[in-house]
Amino acid sequence: MPDAFAPAQMGSSAAPPNLSSGTGPLGETLSPMPVKVDGRTRFNRLYLIGNTSTLLAVDALKSAVAEAKSGKDVGRYEKAVRALAEVAPGEQEAALDSAWVSDIQRSVRAQSERLEHELRGYKNNLIKESIRMGNEDLGNHYYETGDLVAAAKAYSRMRDYCTTPNHIASMLFKMINVSAERGDWIGVQSNVHRLRNSQSKPEDLLKNQPKILAALGLSQMHANSFRDAAASFLAVDSSLSDTFSEIVTPNDIAVYGGLCALASMDRQELQKQVLDNPSFRHFLELEPHIRRAIAFFCNSKFRPCLDILENYRTDYLLDINLQRHVPVLYTQIRTKAIHQYLVPFSRVTLDSMAAIFAPDVIGGEARPTGLNSPFVQELIRLIKEGVLNTRIDLEKGLLVSNQTDLRIEVQTKTLDSLSSFNKEAHLRIVRAAVLHAGLEIRDSDAEQGPRQSHQGTRRGPSGYRRAGGLVG
Amino acid sequence: MASISALVASSAKLQHFADQSSEEYDRQIRDLVTSLHRSLSSNALNFAANDPTLLDVGSASLWNRPENFDPATDAITYLFLLRLQIQTLQETSQEKLPADLLPSRVLWTKCVHYLKKFNPIQVRYVGHEWRQLIELVAQAAQAASKPFLATQLIKDAMLRLDPSCAVFTSTHLLLVRLCLHAKAYTCILPVLNKHICHFPGISERFPPKGAPVLCADHESSLAFITNNSGLSAPLGSRDLSRYFLYGGMVYLALKKWSEASHFLELVMAIPTTGPVSMIMVEAYKKWVLVGLLETGKLRPPPSMIAPNVYKVYQSIARPYINLANTFELRDLNRLNAEIDAARNVWSADNNSGLVAQVLDSFTVHSLVGIKSVFAALTVTELSEQTSSLPRDTDLAESVIASLIMSGSVSATLVHTPGHSEGTMLRFPSAHPSSQLHELQVQGRLARESNTLEALAASVKKSNNDIGLGDEFIDHMHKSKAWNSSGTDYSVAEDETRFDVDEDIMGDQI
Repeated sequence: MPDAFAPAQMGSSAAPPNLSSGTGPLGETLSPMPVKVDGRTRFNRLYLIGNTSTLLAVDALKSAVAEAKSGKDVGRYEKAVRALAEVAPGEQEAALDSAWVSDIQRSVRAQSERLEHELRGYKNNLIKESIRMGNEDLGNHYYETGDLVAAAKAYSRMRDYCTTPNHIASMLFKMINVSAERGDWIGVQSNVHRLRNSQSKPEDLLKNQPKILAALGLSQMHANSFRDAAASFLAVDSSLSDTFSEIVTPNDIAVYGGLCALASMDRQELQKQVLDNPSFRHFLELEPHIRRAIAFFCNSKFRPCLDILENYRTDYLLDINLQRHVPVLYTQIRTKAIHQYLVPFSRVTLDSMAAIFAPDVIGGEARPTGLNSPFVQELIRLIKEGVLNTRIDLEKGLLVSNQTDLRIEVQTKTLDSLSSFNKEAHLRIVRAAVLHAGLEIRDSDAEQGPRQSHQGTRRGPSGYRRAGGLVG
Repeated sequence: MASISALVASSAKLQHFADQSSEEYDRQIRDLVTSLHRSLSSNALNFAANDPTLLDVGSASLWNRPENFDPATDAITYLFLLRLQIQTLQETSQEKLPADLLPSRVLWTKCVHYLKKFNPIQVRYVGHEWRQLIELVAQAAQAASKPFLATQLIKDAMLRLDPSCAVFTSTHLLLVRLCLHAKAYTCILPVLNKHICHFPGISERFPPKGAPVLCADHESSLAFITNNSGLSAPLGSRDLSRYFLYGGMVYLALKKWSEASHFLELVMAIPTTGPVSMIMVEAYKKWVLVGLLETGKLRPPPSMIAPNVYKVYQSIARPYINLANTFELRDLNRLNAEIDAARNVWSADNNSGLVAQVLDSFTVHSLVGIKSVFAALTVTELSEQTSSLPRDTDLAESVIASLIMSGSVSATLVHTPGHSEGTMLRFPSAHPSSQLHELQVQGRLARESNTLEALAASVKKSNNDIGLGDEFIDHMHKSKAWNSSGTDYSVAEDETRFDVDEDIMGDQI
């Protein structure tokens, strides 16, 4: 099974990590993850792994079926069973338990009706607190059964009946949960802002802060603003621990924050804001390889850093939040590494660069640093994009940094701006003079010969308007 | 009066006053001009009409004759007598351009002598006659198919009359047309390089009170080049746009792209009340091509072009814009296809030559792109990187070699013995030796600051004119900026000067 992982083919040129041996990072992922994650996201994560990884599909989907069966969401159960039936039709769990399905459906319907009925009763009594709780129960019920739209509606109806800031905070957190599961990251962001602006007591706000920042970081990461996301994740307090496990675990915070920081910060910032950050250290201890990667990056040991990231690439491709962003994040980290690598050099051999950034190219190609090698093509792309201020010397196999003479540059710039100013000034002077002399082009010019300029006394109203426009 | 001695006497009198106050000198010149006009109409000067020795140049025996007028001191008398002789000749021969007027004949020599030596101050009073002489010279040179003979002469005469050349006259147009005919492009550069900032006829509508007389020293030549002076024929907007277009074409012929595009922009930006003239569209077409030659891309138009005018340009000059867009894609085959497809458009617009140059410059521009990425690479690798070179390596190498030799690309070709991959092309690092650069910078700085000074002076003059113009006063009335109680003119003028100054230069920053 050479390509055990479908996602491993997505843009990864590195050798697949040793998954079959069972000691790879993935072996750790599947076992601890369901332990640490609660709520509906647990099923979602399992289902994602089942759908993307070929090696772990059966196990993951089996767990997903079991997970779904422990809940009340019939839709999810059916989905998981269908997926499992495709992968492993022979498994016992691949058969739909229709008795359970109809049983659950009936009880869910009954429960919905009961809750709706109760809510109507509360509304008639006009007791705010009861109405709020009724809506909350209804929302929780819909959320559990997978009707996310109805759940969001029920939660948002709670708003008018919230009497204390605590109520508002808990309602907003429920909204965030629903939005996150729906993939509505803009909704998450707006709810986070509402939470921040809510009039909670300072100590409550402090308590909620880690969760707020984690949710904000997630939404920022999904909006591709990695620098903001890194800042949010890095500010999450270690008191988060398992309190937000229906969305993210502390391990996730470490990975997301670490990768976003690697992709967006320079070495000094990484050292100061990530490695020397006392609260984020707790998170990093959970994922020591991220810590190692960042440390390597800070010490300019880019090859080990990239190696670590490559080894975990497949792992991250199975992460529900990270999956979409892995290629972008990895490219950014790599580009930044190349950029940082070049800082001290005025000229550097392509071979030594390739040894660090494209070791597999060295062995594989006849001319590892020729024009057509992928590494050189990557450099060309970076130069054209303006990321690298260097030029390639193919004869000597060098990457030469462009020497800029600041004095000459400033002189040229000044002279250029001077001459363009002169030109524009002349254009404007001529235009003003033309208008003033009444030489502008008019309709009559089309039929008549050249006009005589001293007809200025006969100028039409438009002449006045233009002159007025010029000076006014 | 009707004798040569009378003329000599009056001229001596005039010379006597030349050193006196300018008011007195002015009166004397005016007297002389009126009396000459009178004697001309009363045929009192007929004795001089056919005297070939009069006004003779260069013959040593006649040098000491008192009646031999010198254009440097007697520009007016000389001009009248010269015109009289020409007119007489025209009447007797019944031709507009009698043979004697053609180059290297008697009268031509006299004209040349006059135009080389005339007194620029006195000529201000006889603008009509002076301009007629210039036009005659131009016609004579063209009739003899030797326009080149006239170009130098007229250019020198113009600069003699008005060293600043900042006022547009019909002579400008005449000269640039003549130079294009004669292909004497460098000849007109001294005139083209001066910035035209004014048009005759502005100030004469509002003669400033207590202005100095015509013969005095003026800050701006606008004071004596007016509609009534006759130094310029009446002008229309068409003359103006033609002059700038022709000027742009002169620069194009000299491959001075940036000056050319400035002149073309002047045409494109001529204000209009709505309609767009074909000359402006022509200018736009050429401007697009020059932009490709100069920078390799379609530049944004000057900001003062009205959007509706620019839309007209774009819709009429569609093939040119397509060409520019294809050029920017850096794909030789598509560029060739685009050029072939609209071949009749180029030739109909007389732009085939420019388009061919655009095609030539394509390789240069793509090499500049390569240069920013590579410091050195083999020719083979180069032709893989760009589509603008021939596939065949030897051919590509010769193309590159010719580009390097012509100076349009700074690079070196290196043959290495034993290097099997062919010739290496090496781009030097971007900067030339700093010594040379400093000198260039100094030169450019001096040029630009001269321009700036000239423009600043023009701005001052324009401000004054606009401040006195009736549109502006009208505008001030309307905008109620006019101080309702105070009718003190001078105060208002000061305010306006300040306002206008801000407006003309204000939105450049």
